[in-house]
Amino acid sequence: MSGNYGHRLEFGTFVTPTNASPETPVALARRSEELGYDLVTFQDHPYQPAFLDTWTLLSWVAGRTERIRLAANVLNVPLRAPAVLARSAASLDLLSDGRLDLALGAGAFWQAIEAMGGRRLTPRESVDALGEAIDVIRALLAVDDPTPASYPGEHHRLDGAERGPLPAHHIPIWLGARRPRMLRLVGAKADGWLPTLGPVEPDALRAGNKIIDEAAREAGPDPAEIRRLLNISGRFAPTRQGLLHGPAASWVEDLLPLVVEDGVGTLILMTDDDATMTRFAQEVVPALREAVDRRLPAPLPTTARRSVTVRARRRPGIAYDEVPPSLVDSAVEPGDVGYSQVKSNYMRGGAPGLILRPGTPAEVADALAFARAHRDLPLGIRSGGHGISGRSTNDGGLVIDVGRMNEIRVLDEATRRVRIGPGARWMQVAAALAPYGWALTSGDYGGVGVGGLATAGGVGWLARKHGLTIDHLRAVELVLADGTQVRASDTENPDLFWAVRGAGANFGVVTAFEFEVDEVGPVGWAQFALDASDPELLVRWGAAVEAAPRDLTSALLMGPPRIGQPRVAQVMAMVDSDDPATIVGQLQPVADIAPGYDQQVVITSYASVMANASDGPHHGQGEPISRTGFVEHLTPAFAAAANRLLASGVVYFFHIRSVGGAVTDVDPDAMAWSHRGVNFHVSAFGRHRGRLDALWDDLFAGQLRGTYLSFETDQRPERLADAFPPRTLARLRELKARYDPDQLFRDNFAITPDTASRTTP
Amino acid sequence: MSDYGHDLLFGTFVTPTVQPVRHAVDLAVLADRAGLDLVTFQDHPYQPRFHDTWTLLSYVAARTERVHLSGNVLNLPLRQPAVLARSAASLDLLSGGRFELGIGAGAFWEAIEAMGGRRLAAGQAITALDEAIRIMREVWAADKPGGVRVDGEYYRVNGAKRGPAPAHQVNVWIGAYKPRMLRLTGRVGDGWLPSLQYLPGGPGDLATMNEQIDESAVAAGREPAQIRRLLNVGGQFAPTGRSLLDGPPEQWAEDLAGLALEHGVSAFILGSDDPAAIELFAAEVAPATRELVAEERARTAAG
Repeated sequence: MSGNYGHRLEFGTFVTPTNASPETPVALARRSEELGYDLVTFQDHPYQPAFLDTWTLLSWVAGRTERIRLAANVLNVPLRAPAVLARSAASLDLLSDGRLDLALGAGAFWQAIEAMGGRRLTPRESVDALGEAIDVIRALLAVDDPTPASYPGEHHRLDGAERGPLPAHHIPIWLGARRPRMLRLVGAKADGWLPTLGPVEPDALRAGNKIIDEAAREAGPDPAEIRRLLNISGRFAPTRQGLLHGPAASWVEDLLPLVVEDGVGTLILMTDDDATMTRFAQEVVPALREAVDRRLPAPLPTTARRSVTVRARRRPGIAYDEVPPSLVDSAVEPGDVGYSQVKSNYMRGGAPGLILRPGTPAEVADALAFARAHRDLPLGIRSGGHGISGRSTNDGGLVIDVGRMNEIRVLDEATRRVRIGPGARWMQVAAALAPYGWALTSGDYGGVGVGGLATAGGVGWLARKHGLTIDHLRAVELVLADGTQVRASDTENPDLFWAVRGAGANFGVVTAFEFEVDEVGPVGWAQFALDASDPELLVRWGAAVEAAPRDLTSALLMGPPRIGQPRVAQVMAMVDSDDPATIVGQLQPVADIAPGYDQQVVITSYASVMANASDGPHHGQGEPISRTGFVEHLTPAFAAAANRLLASGVVYFFHIRSVGGAVTDVDPDAMAWSHRGVNFHVSAFGRHRGRLDALWDDLFAGQLRGTYLSFETDQRPERLADAFPPRTLARLRELKARYDPDQLFRDNFAITPDTASRTTP
Repeated sequence: MSDYGHDLLFGTFVTPTVQPVRHAVDLAVLADRAGLDLVTFQDHPYQPRFHDTWTLLSYVAARTERVHLSGNVLNLPLRQPAVLARSAASLDLLSGGRFELGIGAGAFWEAIEAMGGRRLAAGQAITALDEAIRIMREVWAADKPGGVRVDGEYYRVNGAKRGPAPAHQVNVWIGAYKPRMLRLTGRVGDGWLPSLQYLPGGPGDLATMNEQIDESAVAAGREPAQIRRLLNVGGQFAPTGRSLLDGPPEQWAEDLAGLALEHGVSAFILGSDDPAAIELFAAEVAPATRELVAEERARTAAG
């Protein structure tokens, strides 16, 4: 008696992939999704011309569904090369956002396989070949191993193949199996067993489980890790006629022992009949769940459970088993497949103990409740993971990653009101607005996430013409430290709305932004490489930019001087105009500040400039070391200081961006971000904290006016005073006392609450 | 001067990069909405930084409405021809006749071998491609009696059932540069799909290569016009013209019209991952090129 193995109870459908009416299996897959099934599966017989190719169909269905998981039932390995299958599986898993399961079979119908050009194998060979195929697939998907994959199998070989791609989740491998050799293979290597009821009667299920469990114990894994699936078929009838032939209640009676006694964790209904599918989902599934939970000592989990190997890598001090159910499946912990892709951010290496990935405001509230129960641990809030000041990763702590909340939706075309989730990247925002002839000024790098930037400021390629990103913000929805969901705008919680625009990281997790965006057509985009040997270059660039019409926004990049190489400044500029004469006319004075080595001017779109970034996974290492500040004019004294900084060898990257223009139009008291009178934003990145701080403090003493927290990594308390003038900071401390008195949000330039004014909100 | 008189097609060649995951999908959807005729992806199954091209093509087909899709070009050595035939027919059926089969003999044999594939010499690979095309067309010929029998040196199909028939006649476009591949293209291809950047002598090479295809077609009893000439092109849009395909859209249209009228190219596939370039290509270059070519063809017909 094997009993139940404690897996979440799941239900699937088995749909005939007929090609006579190719839309039918697709419609049945969508219907399965609508009815709440966990899984839709298709048989795979590549020699059968009446069927659609199963892999093609799975990929197509992935494009036409949102939630339901997909699997073949089962894939014909003799006609599908395992190495290509591994990469195809990873691709489909990525494209479907982790919805692929891999069910494999050793093959049958050998005459048909041979007729297709496949190789006939004996039953014994076919099991060996399947075992090798599993090894090949696992080897290619083991991306954490940096060495090329080699595998000297008898049937399948790898000889120095590159591994990857990394799928979105651990793709379980299930095997269709009946005979003892195959069952032993399930126990030794697979994540699940997928037989069909009929050929396999309940007695055979028990015998099969026994063989699998024994083989699993021998090979090492806990037998309970192996999911037991079962294809079933039957008919509904007013009265019981036999096994799975009768009213819903008799189905429940028949299925109950399979789950409770024979450990079946997934029931897959083989039918193409909408009525049967519907009735099973609506009448059998809920009744069976209830009956199972009544019969078992404890109810079955409602979320996927993590394997022993995953649990072994958990960090201390985190109540992993108390993660709210709404977040369990999407959470990533150190042993999970995708961990290496989410542990670090763009500029910073990390090893958090748990990454929670809420998809709704309610789930953000759940995540914050979990964070409140772990106050001793670092807490990072991540949207795109590009934060320099923001610690959106840590070592052994929690990260709340809102990347899934990335919807971009036009609310009103007439007023150009757009609602954007915090997880969207600016390149996606730009691409979504381009078809309307609109743009929203953002940062200068398309991979950056909306949440971090739109709560901090937003200095980018349209700054002089269109101001800061936060200048376009009209409302936000956020979850406060205590889990309350609130909306803030000029008329709703206006003080919170004031604080979010510049100091948002201290007040909550924004779940939606509403912006009023601008009409922006094609733009001119220039990149110049200029001779920087003259120390006055910065002065001339600064003067040219300040004198330019607001259409033009520019930035300048320099590195340290290199022996034997000319000094070069990279200057980039965007001109918000589609008229070639205007573009060239406005760029000329900037290009003329020094002799040029190279130049490129194109007419393109804002979206296209923002698309010059990757929003792929981050693999930052170490800690970024930077200093930053604002300056009104690039004076000769400033240029001298900058040149000394560059010549010191302490700085490897020096960056000035134009602000000014429309940024200065806004009242400094209108929002928490208050540096309205400045024309330039200056940043430097170095490798040594102490040396950079010492030099920066010395060289720029008295020259800088305030700082932009997004680019600052100096943790000394003076920086907060640089970021917020006294009146602003006082108001922020008062509000902190109201909205986050216990300082849950403290990892990104914490504002200490003004305890004197501590009141309840 | 050889204009084969085909309607002009315009398409994109998008990098099937695996990160960001939806990069290629988003650009394909953009091309579909922008009104382009074709979206194509390279196929290197040994390259883990790319999506599996077949999976991507199928997924993208499900997310687009109108645009045709093709590999550019599919890697035959790692794809079983009989399975590929049914997969192609399936995708054509699911997509309502929007699939075309760009295919090549293979390259990067070391990487193919590392994946467990079979290393072939250039000549062998061409013979294998010839056999594979025969197999695929036989599988698609659902109405012909009997099973598929192709007893090739590299692929053997012995009595496999025929079908399914695709929703439309799937075009076989062959990536070819060398004489034997060009002759194969002339003999069996529905199209020729080279990349401008790989022509050592630039566009001028098209003339001699076209001749080889035409001669081989005639020798096989076919009309040279049965073989569409496609071309992968790259370049950039700039306010002022500098060189071939580097200048404003009007100049691009003139450049492409020249290639169409002089060298018979009737499908231009833009290698670009830049959404603005794709939109300009669709909105400005394609209609202007069509107009220039139509005018010239009308003038020639009248003259």
